[in-house]
Amino acid sequence: MLELVDLSKKFKHMYAVKNLNMFIEKGEIIGLLGPNGAGKSTAISMLSSLIEPTEGDVRFHNKSIIKNPAPLRKIIGVVPQEIALYEDLTAEENLQFFGKIYRLKGQLLKRKVDEVLEQIGLTDRRRDIVKTFSGGMKRRLNIGVAMLHEPELIIMDEPTVGIDPQSRNYILETVKRLNQEKQMTVLYTSHYMEEVEYLCDRIYIMDKGNMIASGTKDEIKRILSAEKTILIQAELLNDTFINFLHENPTINRVIKEEKEITIMVPKEINIFPILVKMAEDAKIELNSVDIKIPTLEDVFLHLTGRALRD
Amino acid sequence: MVGQIIKKQLLLLLRSRVQLLLLIGLPIILIAILGTALSSFMEGGTVEIDLKIALIEEEDEQEQIDRFIRDADEKGLPAEAVAEIRSSVAQITPIQTLKESVFGNESMEDIIKLKLANADEIEKLLEDGSYSTIIEVPKNFTYDMLHFLIFAEDVHPSLKVYQNEAALGASIVQEMLEQYQEQFTIGSFVSEKGMELQVAEIGEQQFGEIISINQEKPTSARDYYAIGMAVMNVLFIASTIGTIAFQEKKNHVFNRIILANVSRWIYFIGIFLSGTIIGFLHLLIIFGFSRIFYGVTWPDLLAFFAVTLAFAVAVGGVAVLLTAICYRINSEMITNFFSSIVVTIFATLGGSFFAIGKLSSFVQLLGDLTPNGAAMSAYLGIIRGEGLADISNHLLFLIIFAVVLIVAAAFSFPKRGSAA
Repeated sequence: MLELVDLSKKFKHMYAVKNLNMFIEKGEIIGLLGPNGAGKSTAISMLSSLIEPTEGDVRFHNKSIIKNPAPLRKIIGVVPQEIALYEDLTAEENLQFFGKIYRLKGQLLKRKVDEVLEQIGLTDRRRDIVKTFSGGMKRRLNIGVAMLHEPELIIMDEPTVGIDPQSRNYILETVKRLNQEKQMTVLYTSHYMEEVEYLCDRIYIMDKGNMIASGTKDEIKRILSAEKTILIQAELLNDTFINFLHENPTINRVIKEEKEITIMVPKEINIFPILVKMAEDAKIELNSVDIKIPTLEDVFLHLTGRALRD
Repeated sequence: MVGQIIKKQLLLLLRSRVQLLLLIGLPIILIAILGTALSSFMEGGTVEIDLKIALIEEEDEQEQIDRFIRDADEKGLPAEAVAEIRSSVAQITPIQTLKESVFGNESMEDIIKLKLANADEIEKLLEDGSYSTIIEVPKNFTYDMLHFLIFAEDVHPSLKVYQNEAALGASIVQEMLEQYQEQFTIGSFVSEKGMELQVAEIGEQQFGEIISINQEKPTSARDYYAIGMAVMNVLFIASTIGTIAFQEKKNHVFNRIILANVSRWIYFIGIFLSGTIIGFLHLLIIFGFSRIFYGVTWPDLLAFFAVTLAFAVAVGGVAVLLTAICYRINSEMITNFFSSIVVTIFATLGGSFFAIGKLSSFVQLLGDLTPNGAAMSAYLGIIRGEGLADISNHLLFLIIFAVVLIVAAAFSFPKRGSAA
């Protein structure tokens, strides 16, 4: 349906996106994963025809849309990361304005506005000014605007940033429902691994403008088949213990957080006695040492040496 | 589509109460304050003029003309020459001209009160003190004047003019007399060169410049500041539209509009028309309010609407240019600069605060090269009783100004949306 071929975007002397290749098939939910600044939003802007790439091509049904974006624009709906709404208008006025912009008229427009308000759970707040809404309600309306004209492909750029868990779940369920009931194709970007794991059939992982991995959830997790992830929790973690971890040649990665440390080691190595010895030598008391089931977060950690939210 | 963009701009403006208060409430308050505070100052310049002039003739003019014709007959000139002199002399009646064409002109009758007095009244008239000017026509004045003009004799007839410096308008009478004298000097020159005397004939047209003190409707302070504040404040509509439009870019709403396959030119036209329509409505509201509460009336409604529309189009041009620049430089710095600096400069040059154009014709020209200044000159012209033809230069300027700005905006407007 949609294909990105060697897509690059250079701002001044720096590549925001470099040699990006990806494809989207009809009916899929595709996840685009990466930390802040990975280049996801730039990729989406090029994909949706808002900005022209420096190099490469975006092909829709095998035709380039770089010079003629109209066919693609007809079938996409974009949910930007920002709240792209008129805060001084009501929810209904916003939907009516954008509906008319999408050339919906009369009874059809009225029906669509009612439907969308129902889907995003804002029917009873339809006549309220948007600036009086909570963050979650604004996010839902932000999605609603992109759904008005029933696009074949909906592109959602971090639609759950900064909202409460209840609104987040509502949005995730809405995305699932749109895909299942209306066969909408979804491109979902996020830096929340669990959202992408929950929603997506296939995943692309970006970092620093590059695509560093892609595939189904299982394919990506198999990247970690040769390693296991171990979570160490201890009171009063000290530098001596961390230095021991770094100096040990069998430990591939060491990621320190507040009261815990994540390490990656080859599957065949039994690291437990070594860890106990290191703790004794560093004079700290271990609370727990667990082997984790690999997650996409671990894959990202493995690929980049950084946590997604760093 | 354009209609939706305009409707949305109107809705957004109506919802912004602070902005509305500033745009409409502020000029209304300023008109009241400035119109009241400066009315004595302003109306001091346009006070009703009441000139009292006394004219004392020591000898009847017709008798002097008859005497001159007898002299011409006795000179032994050919019959044709005498006939020509007779016909020319019939038109050279300096005192009658002074009484009827200069001071007795129909258009001057509300301004000038001319008293014809006898020679023995002069002392009484001088003591009276209410006369701006007393003109004493000595014996033989017309007789000598005819000798001077027709035979170029070395006689220098002169009027005795007593000016009351304390009385209002003495300088105006002096100026009128100077022009009167100038016409007779030209007459003498023409006579010397043997040209047709009629070309120097003194008629009321010769005193056309005096119209400046013959205003049918003088501009009051309230009229002046209603116009001054309205033309200044409507410029803020342009920056407000620019700010709203830039917010659309900042909030990525513009991207949404572009992604809906709406041509950027539709959006561009929407911004231009929003500026024009809101500017037009804004002017109508301010002038409507001024009409009801301050009595500012327009003698020529067609001319008023023509200026309002042309000025609103210029405001639309400014709005779309500001929007284009904001989009181009990705900052609303330009709208802030426009509303805080440019509007102040334009308002000062355009005469919104005081009639700066009176300082010099160059300053007036500079003022007329600002949209508000051109509109102000046109509005003041209408108030003074001028018609569409008289203010057409200002209308033309406003339209050209708008076209130039729209073209500049079209070149600056971005081709696509913007990166996140």
